[in-house]
Amino acid sequence: MDKAATDGWSVRQILAQQGILIAFVLAMLVFGLFSDRFLAFDNIMAVLRQTGIVGVMAIGVTIVVIGGNLDLSVGSMLSMATVLVVDLHDRIGPGPAILIMFCAVLAAGAINGVLVGYLRLNSLIVTLGMLSALQGITLIYTDGKNVDIANQSDTWFAIFGRGDIAGIPTPIVMFFGVAVLGHVLLTRMPFGRKVYATGGNPRTAVYSGIRRGRIVFLTYLISAFTVGCSALILGSRVMGSQNNVGQGYELLVLSAVILGGTSLLGGSGNILKTVIGVLILGFIQNGLLLLGFPYYAQWLVTWVVIILTVWLDVASKRHSLWSPIA
Amino acid sequence: MSRMNKLALAAATAITVVGAAGAAHAEKIKIGITQNNVGVDSYQTTYEKAFIAAAAKNPDVETVVLDAGGDVARQIGQMQDLIQQKVDVIIIWPTDGKAVVPVVRKAHQAGIPVVVTNSNIAADGMDFIAAFSGPNNIQQGASAAELMCEALGNKGEIVQISGQPGYTTAIERQKGFEDQLAKSCPDVKILETQPGDWNREKAQRVMEAFLVKYNKIDGVYSGDDNMGVGALNAAKAANRAKDIKFVGATNFAVGYEAMERGEYYGSIYQSPVDDAEAALATAIAVKAGKQVPKLNYFETPKITKANMDKFTKPVF
Repeated sequence: MDKAATDGWSVRQILAQQGILIAFVLAMLVFGLFSDRFLAFDNIMAVLRQTGIVGVMAIGVTIVVIGGNLDLSVGSMLSMATVLVVDLHDRIGPGPAILIMFCAVLAAGAINGVLVGYLRLNSLIVTLGMLSALQGITLIYTDGKNVDIANQSDTWFAIFGRGDIAGIPTPIVMFFGVAVLGHVLLTRMPFGRKVYATGGNPRTAVYSGIRRGRIVFLTYLISAFTVGCSALILGSRVMGSQNNVGQGYELLVLSAVILGGTSLLGGSGNILKTVIGVLILGFIQNGLLLLGFPYYAQWLVTWVVIILTVWLDVASKRHSLWSPIA
Repeated sequence: MSRMNKLALAAATAITVVGAAGAAHAEKIKIGITQNNVGVDSYQTTYEKAFIAAAAKNPDVETVVLDAGGDVARQIGQMQDLIQQKVDVIIIWPTDGKAVVPVVRKAHQAGIPVVVTNSNIAADGMDFIAAFSGPNNIQQGASAAELMCEALGNKGEIVQISGQPGYTTAIERQKGFEDQLAKSCPDVKILETQPGDWNREKAQRVMEAFLVKYNKIDGVYSGDDNMGVGALNAAKAANRAKDIKFVGATNFAVGYEAMERGEYYGSIYQSPVDDAEAALATAIAVKAGKQVPKLNYFETPKITKANMDKFTKPVF
């Protein structure tokens, strides 16, 4: 514990622990200043709806990363899942389609889990391989064709991407619901402690009787499950899919997780901060569009904002802008 | 990987040698084709089937059909193999417009005419090819601009959702549209252009931002109907679809269906069958020594609800 933390709930402590939150509020204010539409209710709802897809997956990936591993396969797993659920929707009905889609992603997650957890292979290699394998399977399945849901207005499948639950758009309910579940799982359950222990120091974890392989295996199943949920949102929002729809999502998800302060080395991280990471990325993207930035400038500005956010986060933790030992 | 390549090359060579031996007495034209990436999308899959079918109908033509699988190194290998086999004409669908220039030059030096199909090679390779055959993306953009003028009665404010930045197809469809729009209906203003990366979900996200930003949007022009339908989804969710006319630069099955429902104004019809048949016809004409223009565009007509019964629903 550093000095500030012992001072009770001082301003300094809040600053130190919530650097990312402050960065988020600052970013919102800056964009709000330049665009009168940015903070409008309908825009905020639209962005929250959009971020649900990345957000739900980011929760799963945060748990994998806290457990000391990476999951780069979520992007092409999302492509496969969305293509499956959309294509099967018209053939066998939405219910069975969703069931088969979840079986497929959980199977892929289980393979990741066995290879990384039980065979102890490097997670970067395993999930990078899974990324190409799933992309290949999706291409073979679709034969390159786009898939669509023919009757878009009368299917209850619309609820996930276009509908509301109690007046709140479903993607937002799913995003925050999964986040709360993940947070409870990590902070209030024995499983959560075991994930932190496995990621923090695998050897000690094993000596304390934690079945490391099993914990890692389960983190990959959770991640695959969240991909399935994201596929429901994406498929229902677009009412169609194409074989590269999830391309690049793995990096977006990983950026959100890292922005939230989760260590890539494992053992530390926080789901609620991942949520803020997701929101920062989503609102930056939207704000730059509203300000009418040219496309390539948007990449540049996104990078600058990410660096500033991470810097503010680090600086608030060590109470100085510059590293004392640089 | 490289062993696989060699095996594939050997197999291809064997097939053509047998084919050539059987038909040695007849004066057949031997045409070799190396395609970009069959199977990656249904346009290319349909193209290959149509090419083989068209060649089979012509008794004077014998073909060697190869596919580079999207790999430029493999395509260069296939080109070298076709040169070795001394085919009469080579048709190439470049995996990379720049990287294939040296091997196209090699074929040219070996006296084998090269016809480029679908997407043209880089400008510095133009001297080494006999002809290009494919769609005119500038013209597709221009025709889409005419559709937009017609849909809006020459007046209004529109947004543009372009294809993947940096892709020639995306750039040409944007340029053709903008130039023609300024000419045909200068009172239609483009409020803003953002890329949708050929991705329906991305286009939907972009359109959601446009809808928040602009209170009045009369039309949306998209680089293809896949993105156009994404924009349509966003407009429907915001209850503004009825006030907006949607026009695309290439007709997709989803656009065709939305047009049937009256939700989508029009698009440009590009058929992979026409594309394949045009490439074969160009290759035959080149071999026969006919004067062939350097750039051969097959027709890509406008399609709207009024004339859509003349077209079959696109396969992609």
